[in-house]
Amino acid sequence: MTRLTALFATMLFGMMMLGFGLATPLLAQTPQPGGSLQQEGFTPIEQLPPQEQLPAAPLLIAAYVFVVVMLFVYLFSVARRLATVQKELTRLEGDIKASKKG
Amino acid sequence: MPKWFYPVAGLCALLFAASPFVIASAPYVQDMGIAQKIFYYHMPSAWMFLIAAIVCGTASVRFLVTGIVHQDRVAWAAAEMTCLFGALALVTGPLWARKAWGVWWQWDMRLTASLMGWMVSCAYLLLRRYGGSGSEKLAAGLSLFGMANVPFIYVSVNYWRTIHPATSVVPTLPFSLGGPLWFCVTAFVLLLVLLMSLRIRLEEQRARLDSLYLSMDE
Repeated sequence: MTRLTALFATMLFGMMMLGFGLATPLLAQTPQPGGSLQQEGFTPIEQLPPQEQLPAAPLLIAAYVFVVVMLFVYLFSVARRLATVQKELTRLEGDIKASKKG
Repeated sequence: MPKWFYPVAGLCALLFAASPFVIASAPYVQDMGIAQKIFYYHMPSAWMFLIAAIVCGTASVRFLVTGIVHQDRVAWAAAEMTCLFGALALVTGPLWARKAWGVWWQWDMRLTASLMGWMVSCAYLLLRRYGGSGSEKLAAGLSLFGMANVPFIYVSVNYWRTIHPATSVVPTLPFSLGGPLWFCVTAFVLLLVLLMSLRIRLEEQRARLDSLYLSMDE
């Protein structure tokens, strides 16, 4: 059952990846939404004066770096705590076995 | 670890590795520029934050009613997930908002309720860490407030004045924008499940260690 689940998951992932891989060129060619959707009273970012514009790339990079760093820090923290407990368990079980023999 | 863990972990890693390419292939939203790409990690983080809060509250109710210790471990693990994903949503949101709205933060209903929900999860963890014996039931009670907060966070944008998009936006997204979003949501759901199982495993091992120490004392 577990193997079947893993096989299904791998196949699903493969199909998803294939789908996205095939869709990528199409997505890249998709035109951006037209000006008809523009609402009244809203000033597009490009039309703002330069002093009011904020570069978006640093914000985007900061957001993604924060997410990746936080996830890795948490994963490392859990793995370290788990390893410590596992080590303590192994030591204690060894001590119990030794005391029973003695 | 359970047998499903490693295949799912591999799948999750692949999804995260592929996500930048999928996100980059999505078209730009008019007037939002490149900052809109934060959406693909911000929204899944926010959803995982809400799901984890519900899991924490549900497991706490079951623990309070039945006294099953496993439910307490699930609640504790879910509280950590709430804190983690809540932090991700609350940090990535303002980074996007600064560009899209011109402000880092707005004290509207959704943002304030989200901050409160995150603070409840932090309070839960602090209570578990420093509360001593009996803190598990107090923390379980506290998590109910965190869970009760979730519907308010979700529907608040439909009833209170805010510049946050309404809940009707995601279901109506075209495939070019919705596809990458659901791709990232899948990756985050798998990550939530994996981290939860790791964290529950940690509590099980700690309980085993405690029982060994107790048996040695006897």
